[in-house]
Amino acid sequence: MTKLLEIKNLNKSYDGIPALNDVNLSIAPGQIHGLVGANGSGKSTLMNILFGSPVIHETGGYQGDIFFQGQRISLLNCAEAIAKGIGMVHQEFALIPDMTIGENIKLGRENTYHLTDRLFGRKYSLINRSQDYQSAAPVLQRMGINLELGIKILNLSTNIKQFVEIAREIARSDLQLLLLDEPTAVLNQSDAHKLMEILTEMAAAGIGILFVSHRLEEIQHICDTVTVLRDGKKVSQYEKADITINSLARDMIGHLVSKANAKKREPMLQPVITFHNFSVKMPGEEIKDLNLNIFEGEILGLTSLSGHGKLALGYGMMGLYPAAGMVTYENAGLSKMEARSNILKGMYVLPDDRQDLGILPEHSLEDNIIFTGNQIKNMFARNPAWGFLGFIDRKKAKQHVSQMIDDFDIKCSSSKQRVRELSGGNQQKVCLARALTVNPRLLFVAEPTRGIDISAKEKILQMLIDINRSVKTTIVIASSELDELKRVCDRIAIIVEGKLFKVLSPDSSDLEFGLALSGEEGAACAEL
Amino acid sequence: MKANKLLHSEYIVPALFLLLAYIAWQFSGFTGSFVGNQVLTRFIRDGILVLSLIIPVVAGLGLNFAITVGAMAMQTSLLLVINYQAEGIRGILLVIVIGVLLSVLLGFAIGHALNRVKGKEMITTIIIGFLGNSIYQLIFLVGFGTFIPVINQEIILSRGIGVRNTVDLGMYRNTIDKLWLLNLGGLEIPLFMILLVLLFAGFVYYLLHTRLGQEIKAVGLDSGRSALVGINVDALRVKVMIISTVLAALGQLIYLQNIGMFDVYTAHMNTGIISCAALLAGGASIKSARIRHAIIGVFLFHTLFIVSPQAGQNLFNNAALGEYFRSFIAYGTIAFALIINIKNENKQAKQGIS
Repeated sequence: MTKLLEIKNLNKSYDGIPALNDVNLSIAPGQIHGLVGANGSGKSTLMNILFGSPVIHETGGYQGDIFFQGQRISLLNCAEAIAKGIGMVHQEFALIPDMTIGENIKLGRENTYHLTDRLFGRKYSLINRSQDYQSAAPVLQRMGINLELGIKILNLSTNIKQFVEIAREIARSDLQLLLLDEPTAVLNQSDAHKLMEILTEMAAAGIGILFVSHRLEEIQHICDTVTVLRDGKKVSQYEKADITINSLARDMIGHLVSKANAKKREPMLQPVITFHNFSVKMPGEEIKDLNLNIFEGEILGLTSLSGHGKLALGYGMMGLYPAAGMVTYENAGLSKMEARSNILKGMYVLPDDRQDLGILPEHSLEDNIIFTGNQIKNMFARNPAWGFLGFIDRKKAKQHVSQMIDDFDIKCSSSKQRVRELSGGNQQKVCLARALTVNPRLLFVAEPTRGIDISAKEKILQMLIDINRSVKTTIVIASSELDELKRVCDRIAIIVEGKLFKVLSPDSSDLEFGLALSGEEGAACAEL
Repeated sequence: MKANKLLHSEYIVPALFLLLAYIAWQFSGFTGSFVGNQVLTRFIRDGILVLSLIIPVVAGLGLNFAITVGAMAMQTSLLLVINYQAEGIRGILLVIVIGVLLSVLLGFAIGHALNRVKGKEMITTIIIGFLGNSIYQLIFLVGFGTFIPVINQEIILSRGIGVRNTVDLGMYRNTIDKLWLLNLGGLEIPLFMILLVLLFAGFVYYLLHTRLGQEIKAVGLDSGRSALVGINVDALRVKVMIISTVLAALGQLIYLQNIGMFDVYTAHMNTGIISCAALLAGGASIKSARIRHAIIGVFLFHTLFIVSPQAGQNLFNNAALGEYFRSFIAYGTIAFALIINIKNENKQAKQGIS
């Protein structure tokens, strides 16, 4: 069989730091090729090269050859890749939020009226919107989605967005090769399963697929061949029959992952903060009349089905959404929820939306880590007497930051590197380092392991445990990863429809958790 | 709740303008037909210039103050053709051809310049407008009679170098202005010219509903993601600037021939500010603009523009006050609309978080 895509001796480096090292890979038509690797292993770089992302060209191009349908290609932008029949499903969604589902699916290949086609050419021809919608609708229906195509993307939930993103590629008649970057990260199991079926169908129709995922079971389930990348090198390749999750995980990390596990201990009883009838008006994640005690020195897990309010507590504390109710912190009432004063009182929140709220992507590692400490507590002033007019003591900052980089094992070229360039796991470590810089008594963390590979995940969980044990920081982890919470927390609070439903011990059975999460004994319909 | 909604809708600025215009009209003592005639004339003069602003706004480039460059391109073409003494329809066609070619070139250059200053397009277009103005003045003050040979002595200053302050467009006057003139009571309606402006409105509308228009919208809404779905963002932005500059050039031609006289050094000066103010008065923002904003805006803005000096004079018995009123209105509109719009957008963005 002729190869659809063939990559030979691909090398790519950013500013002298190698990202890809002599990678060889080939995909035949109708084949699903899995690509796994820890964050920073070069998967994204490979995808970017294949899709002609301008970043590659701007940073000096690459060495090696890429053959597509037998021809050597060198892509300067995504438009060229698309013209060749390459499609990509982006992890961050390449959907225009203010456009409708139909417009997004057909963007760049709209149906037009014949008359104006003839008069002015395709590019300057009037768009036939109803025909557009008619041709886009069946694609969505095939995925089991019956939605009005006139709905704007920004009104959709994340998993529907993911399907629209995929629909855009499926709707193309000229698609030859589909690149999928973590398409299932935001999907629940049944939706992920649905996606797998669609991909299998596409492959059966002769489309080559390159599938990147952190979920190894999916890779094992669907891929014909798997390539494992580590530190930019191809470590191994498996054929369908030989794929096992354990070997993939071992190859990805280079060693077996030791799972973070907190030792059980005596329950703490001294409340550090008490919420009484606390409500946060966060659209889609509201909490209403929450009553909850958080004890000094514990790690409290906070979980709920999505949309039931586990994320709102931290946002409410920082005044990002209107909050109401009584909060007692260290035996004194908190009058207002405002980030600055609460940080000064020793509370800190790390939001789940890392890209938009957690990091300053264009700033350096150093600036990110010292930011809160410097701005709120003036910890890095050369002479604190100058207040906000003072200069930053760069020497002190640098010392602190290098200490943090060592402690947390943050992978970066230097403390001056822009945080945007780091992998997700390292960005999360930077966030944690920034939080620790202000030395909080009470730390709220939301979804700390989302979008992070398994090895970095465990490191971050271990870091949370270490922080709790060594500096006695009380930690509240809001997460949907029950398994992780069970390993790390002293208690796990279950929130249903914005109210505290139950507090369970981490030793409780999965059945107990399942029942609690769905709100009532036996009645599991709360999600719908 | 409802009042709050109105306050934050795109109608707040036009509504305010309507109110102001009505009050000012009451004080001005002008008859309705006088104001109506004046506004119609202004609609014809300024309509296409305002329309030329819409596409850059949709493409996310903000208000294109550099439409003055398009205006200057057309004026340059006009002066050259007058210098070579081409008259009548033949002359007008020649003016159009040279003017359009020149503005395509200039639009291309501005587009490339703007690709280097993403996110700061508006301030850049303002400065480009100023720069263009000084180059233009240099050419016609010094260039004519030195390296540009003078053929038509009538337009040259008596010292032999430099173009006069005012050039008569007598040979082109009333070629199209008085076509299909309708008389309705005291109201003179130049039907052909109105249709011409509406034709341009239709052209902009059409363009925005083509595949090119869809790409323009996508880039305006989210240029990063647009690049990922295969749109060549930089090339598209250049195209947008070319279209806008050419439209502005044609708009300036309509403007000048309607006036019939041509202030060589100042005719283009306020084109950018006035047109932007008119567009904003119609409810547009620096992020969204539609045809209706242009049309409503031209009517509202110019009504106020016409009646306010007289109203000011009647109220304060001071003739000099009139001109102050005008510039106050132009800049006031822009400042007010910018602030109101940005406030609204922030509000919407906040509601969008989930």
